[in-house]
Amino acid sequence: MSVKVEVIEGGIPHNKIMIAGLVGTLVCLYLTYLNVLTNTEVFAFFGGLAVVTALIWGSHTIKVLCSYGIGTGVPSAGMIAFGSGVMAMLLATKPIFGMAAPIVALVLAAIIGFILGYISNNILNMKIPAMVRALTEMAAVGALSLMGFAALITGGFTFAGLTTGTVNMLGMTVSSNQISFIGGGLIAVAFLLGAIAIQHPFNACLGPGWKQDRMLMLTAECGFLSMIVAAIMSFALISAGSAIISLIVAIVGWAYTYNQYICLSKRDAAAWLDAKPIPDMEGH
Amino acid sequence: MSAVAAKPQAGGAMNPTAMVVGVIMLLIILALCWYVSPGLGLMALIGIIIGGVLIGFGTHFVPVGGAPAAMGQAPGIATGVAMLAAGAGLAGLFGGAWAAGQGWVIATITGGVGGGLMMAITCMMVNFIYVFGMGIPSASGKVAKDPITGDTQAEFKSQGTEGHGLPFVSFVGGVTGGFLGGAGGTLIYLQLLSLYETKLPTLMGVPAAQVMPIAVAAAGIFAVGLFLVNAVLTAYNITGTIEGPHDPKFKRWPRAIVASAVASALCGFVAILIVAI
Repeated sequence: MSVKVEVIEGGIPHNKIMIAGLVGTLVCLYLTYLNVLTNTEVFAFFGGLAVVTALIWGSHTIKVLCSYGIGTGVPSAGMIAFGSGVMAMLLATKPIFGMAAPIVALVLAAIIGFILGYISNNILNMKIPAMVRALTEMAAVGALSLMGFAALITGGFTFAGLTTGTVNMLGMTVSSNQISFIGGGLIAVAFLLGAIAIQHPFNACLGPGWKQDRMLMLTAECGFLSMIVAAIMSFALISAGSAIISLIVAIVGWAYTYNQYICLSKRDAAAWLDAKPIPDMEGH
Repeated sequence: MSAVAAKPQAGGAMNPTAMVVGVIMLLIILALCWYVSPGLGLMALIGIIIGGVLIGFGTHFVPVGGAPAAMGQAPGIATGVAMLAAGAGLAGLFGGAWAAGQGWVIATITGGVGGGLMMAITCMMVNFIYVFGMGIPSASGKVAKDPITGDTQAEFKSQGTEGHGLPFVSFVGGVTGGFLGGAGGTLIYLQLLSLYETKLPTLMGVPAAQVMPIAVAAAGIFAVGLFLVNAVLTAYNITGTIEGPHDPKFKRWPRAIVASAVASALCGFVAILIVAI
């Protein structure tokens, strides 16, 4: 039986963050259906916002799990989240699930995560109270974040949309499977963009000086940073105008959260020396 | 309570009930797979389970040191299981994927060689840095004599540490673990690739040549996902660090076999469902 090393003092309780993250992510994912309604791709950026919301929820789950000192390092938690989420996400995009895709992804990932949690806690004898719940939540976060990336990069998350793209050849538009989210391997980049963004904040902020708002702000910053990269990749698959909107949203969000994070770091720091990166070398 | 005393005491004890539940879950998933996709799907799932078990078993051999190793206070490579296993496994997977056209025997062995090579280079450079950079000899803290070379360890071990550097047995363990992990990852990839190559053209209604990028990318990302799941579960089994095959924690491998088999079966079944329904 392990003993909890850190306790959450003050701050928003985990249940509240989980519910807010879950609802926020699903709402953002469903808002990308505006693309289908209006027959455009300009609402793809809602996929990126879904990613940021899901990551905030996920990084707090990692905090709950890793404060028990699981001994394997924080990054492993991010890796198992996306490793177990990717299959659930892709199965949920199948046409038979239709509009229910985000819900199906959530439920499927939760089932996979629950069984993985049972395996770790009982078969591997980890005996950590938060384990089953945390792995269930993290698989769901992994699946929903990947779905968000898919919506951000391709404008939607149907199986056909993820596997088929178009390419201009000699003035003709030809459909191609190579130029697509899965066929082009963009899913691998999305996988690691999410996995690193979900584990970094707690890994960077843990310790006796841990503050909830600072960690969550760093998560949002990491999420928007991933969104910038994903928005640049989306130029290949959606119209330039829509991709530029996603890019602007990502850059504005990143700049805001980065500034806020620096402010919070200054607040929590014992002292702050504004050192110049390159010293003036007089007389040389 | 200090952070050191609060480390998880997940002992080596087996939980017989949970093991039985695990085996029953495995059988249920196999039965479900036989129901939705008899033949090709079931064969693929069995291959995926064997690959997952190879990864889970192989990870036990890899000398994972974690943060104490970075300070020269414990033997092993100074990073976590997830990173090391991912490095070795993905190197093997890429190697094996190049040889996918040569049949599964050659491809699996190529994947194993790729993973083993990656671990051999890592172990050698780690020892280079330990010996010539940090100035510490290689010594194990868990055994009195190296099981392979018979060299005594105690006189090289600094006081207050659990050993340091990579003794010969850890090096051999690392290469063995890399080989098993790389081979397992490649086996999963090959099973999924052959399944997707056969099923996707009819499912998507496009020619077989066009579907190749989808089959390769989907099989690849699922192999990576399964690899990470198995590696992290094994990391949970050894609670973070292990010296190699001579470490007492190595005896926990039967638990990891059951855990990897169930986890691979579950994730593999979902991956098969993508083309089965």
